Amino acid sequence: MALAAVIMILVSLVLAVFAAVTLWWTMHAWRTPETLAGTRFAPPDGEQHLTFSLLLPARHEKAVLEHTVERLLRSTHEAFEIIIIVGHDDPETAEVAHRVAATAPARILVVTDHNEQKNKPRALNTALPYVRGDVVGVFDAEDQVHPLLLEHVDHAFRATGADVVQGGVQLINFHSSWYSLHNCLEYFFWFRSRLHLHAKKGFIPLGGNTVFVRADVLREANGWDGTCLAEDCDLGVRLSSRGKKVIVAYDSTIVTREETPHSVGALLKQRTRWHQGFLQVLRKGEWRRLPTWRARMLARYTLTSPFLQAFSGVVIPVGVAIAIWAQLPVFVALITFLPVLPMAATLMFQIVGLHDFGQQYDLRIRWHHYLKLVLGSFPYALVLSTAALRAVWREYTGRRNWELTAHVGAHLPAAPQKVAA
Amino acid sequence: MTVLELVRETPPPVVTPPRKDRTDFTIAVGLTTLVLALLAWNITGFPTASDDEGTYLAQAWAVQNGQGLAHYTYWYDHPPLAWIQLAAFSWLPAWVAPSLLAVAAGRIAMLPLQAAGLLLVYVVGRRIGLPRWAAAVGLLTYGLSPLFLTMGRQIYLDSFAVVWILAALALALSPRKHLWHYAAAGAAAAIGVLSKETILVILPAVLVAMWQNTARSTTRPWAFGAFASGLVLVGCFYPLYALLRGELFPGEGHVSLFGAIQFQLGSRSGSGSIFAAGSGANELLHSWLYYDSVLLVAGSVATVAGLFLRRLRPVTVAGAILIAVALRPGGYLPAMYVVQVLPFFAIAIAGVLAFVFARISAWGKPAPDATGSTGARARRWATPAAAALALVLVAVVVAPRWYIGDRRALTANDNAAYVEAAHYLRAQPPSTVVVDDVLWLDCVNAGYPSDRVIWFYKLDLDSEVAARLPGGWRDVDYIVSTPAVRQDPGTLPTVTALLRNSTVIASFGPADGLIEIRRVNKESA
Repeated sequence: MALAAVIMILVSLVLAVFAAVTLWWTMHAWRTPETLAGTRFAPPDGEQHLTFSLLLPARHEKAVLEHTVERLLRSTHEAFEIIIIVGHDDPETAEVAHRVAATAPARILVVTDHNEQKNKPRALNTALPYVRGDVVGVFDAEDQVHPLLLEHVDHAFRATGADVVQGGVQLINFHSSWYSLHNCLEYFFWFRSRLHLHAKKGFIPLGGNTVFVRADVLREANGWDGTCLAEDCDLGVRLSSRGKKVIVAYDSTIVTREETPHSVGALLKQRTRWHQGFLQVLRKGEWRRLPTWRARMLARYTLTSPFLQAFSGVVIPVGVAIAIWAQLPVFVALITFLPVLPMAATLMFQIVGLHDFGQQYDLRIRWHHYLKLVLGSFPYALVLSTAALRAVWREYTGRRNWELTAHVGAHLPAAPQKVAA
Repeated sequence: MTVLELVRETPPPVVTPPRKDRTDFTIAVGLTTLVLALLAWNITGFPTASDDEGTYLAQAWAVQNGQGLAHYTYWYDHPPLAWIQLAAFSWLPAWVAPSLLAVAAGRIAMLPLQAAGLLLVYVVGRRIGLPRWAAAVGLLTYGLSPLFLTMGRQIYLDSFAVVWILAALALALSPRKHLWHYAAAGAAAAIGVLSKETILVILPAVLVAMWQNTARSTTRPWAFGAFASGLVLVGCFYPLYALLRGELFPGEGHVSLFGAIQFQLGSRSGSGSIFAAGSGANELLHSWLYYDSVLLVAGSVATVAGLFLRRLRPVTVAGAILIAVALRPGGYLPAMYVVQVLPFFAIAIAGVLAFVFARISAWGKPAPDATGSTGARARRWATPAAAALALVLVAVVVAPRWYIGDRRALTANDNAAYVEAAHYLRAQPPSTVVVDDVLWLDCVNAGYPSDRVIWFYKLDLDSEVAARLPGGWRDVDYIVSTPAVRQDPGTLPTVTALLRNSTVIASFGPADGLIEIRRVNKESA
């Protein structure tokens, strides 16, 4: 009994510290009005000096690809090309790609990926030799890209001398399901706040799209890692380790809008892939080359945190249940409630965040959304935990294939009906 | 809105940082040290040890000795954080000076707390925008008031609560507007409430402070989210404790948190209207005015006036709420209630003074084209004249009153009888003895088994204690009769029986504060 109590206390303290640190970092941008203002950046100066090559890997994406390209073509920037990468075994998407390419032959190039095993990094590497622009941008086939984005990025590169510009990505369809609400908020906190901290500390796991890298820097780094499930994170780690300058360019009006996975199963698969990718990046150990001890610790912490988070999301409520029903000594029981403090505070900030999210994106947040947020947080933690366990299991048993996330276009204003038809 | 946001801040300019201005630090610490010296001087002699002090100190002893939150059944009469904090300090003076009366030694443990309170009065003053001199006036008004020099020495829960609320105010007024300062403000407020629940009523003052401090700030909703997190999450540990012990809701055969709250709100008899002559509240008001009419009268006026000054509002809202609560008819008003009021009155006085002086000096500044005119010359003297007037007022009105009160605090020896009684009891072989709360810890420290030293009112009010004495009052060897024991004659049957069937074997002190050691005559009918 005494041993059990000691274990309970230790686990509780570790979880409490972990949750508190995560919360501290998640809230980075809102720490003071100065930090919030410090993330601002001057508006574009109207000049255009850089040329862009926008890579658009598309695999079984015929439903959304055309719309995405059409939007990209509306970009106000003068100098960009779009390279659509399709698989040799995916004639339907290829057909759509070639059809839209014909509408703007000077702008659009279709490249066919002949790799036997298909995944996103390999598709991107296939396109890299065709790149002519100064800057390589990556988008996903379902992205809604703002026409002004490229001008902003152009200015951001020139004004800061950065090697990498990470643009904001935001899931918008918070109303679609109980988990999409949580999913949207995760993105909100990540891009609005947490990524800024990472860029500041010199270790940044890049996002999968709306990421812009100077072409020479990318070639020097040998492009993407074709075997990694989180090629975006891996690229960020490698570029950070080489001391490349990464900035985060975020504004709610020009973020790239995306949709959440269309089912819990899809979310689970996506998360498994990310978590497994994080594990791979951790095992690769490129982060050990980071210049400072602090950056290395941040890297280690960030790459392992999906697992800790998953673990604590389940263990904390279970611990609390044990504390209430197992007749522990009151003192021990009170200690097991310590991790609940940062956890509940996180939920409190998510409520404020949901309000802020609604304001920033001009979305109407109703009371039942707040209710869903609160009620959904434990089930959501369960999903994340399951994904984390799956990731560990798959990595352990050597299953490293790419589980694709399908897109139906729920974030597009008219798309759902189209898909339903 | 079409701006990019990015992380890199502009690199800090490579200039040597300006030397840190330590003026505020020096003033606040210097004045606090001065006041603290006055507070400590004769802390054991004045004022008379009160029953409540003994209660809280004994409960701190129970915490130190792993006996839970009280050495009798803890019945949620007050939240326990104050004496848990006290427990962290009170062992030290008791260990250094074991010959002192236990309560007197316990008072020494209040000094660090009061030092924090004094510093916080200065900090809050500065953070609501007072100039240094005014913040210093606030500190001194608080610290030199005879009421503070009297009640600030005593072991009262209210002192803990008010210091934590001052901390919450200071944090809510954080100049950096840091998110975690707001969270800490919430936590401090919660600790304040868990130190003495009545401080809850002035939480709106902290909210006003936050509201003002986050005005036109981009982070206001986050600030309130942080505050709410801190407040709720720390605060919920108390009901959680009750829940884990199965004592949250009333039920057969156990105490409960909600039951205690119901009692405090509903069943407790009121002290009457503060305006009705002869009522308990009215008597209390007069006893406070007896100690210090200056701070109470000037403070009330300044509080009401200060409600109209935006910068003063966080402080004056607190003062105004406390006034309103005291004036509510029929409520219960405890003697130490005034402890919560003092710092807010002091800051309000300083704030109104600062406002008046700012106005006068603004008026006194000669217009650039009017130098030399008689009007301008007269105006130039406005500020010095006002300052001189203020000094005269202080010298004539404040100083004589405070001098009398403070001198008494520094010289009176009101605890002599208690000290003698404690020495007498220490010399006796341990026995079953009924005492008031003050002497309880002295007996236990002297080696009496803690279950055989009994608070007098527990004999009749705690069934667990009654069960320890199967023979009723005849199982008691001695009763120590103090003014507290004799306070409500006839209300406690066992105590009455003990007093009737006992003979005095030693007595100490003057007639109005007589302490008698009485041996129980077990053979009498």
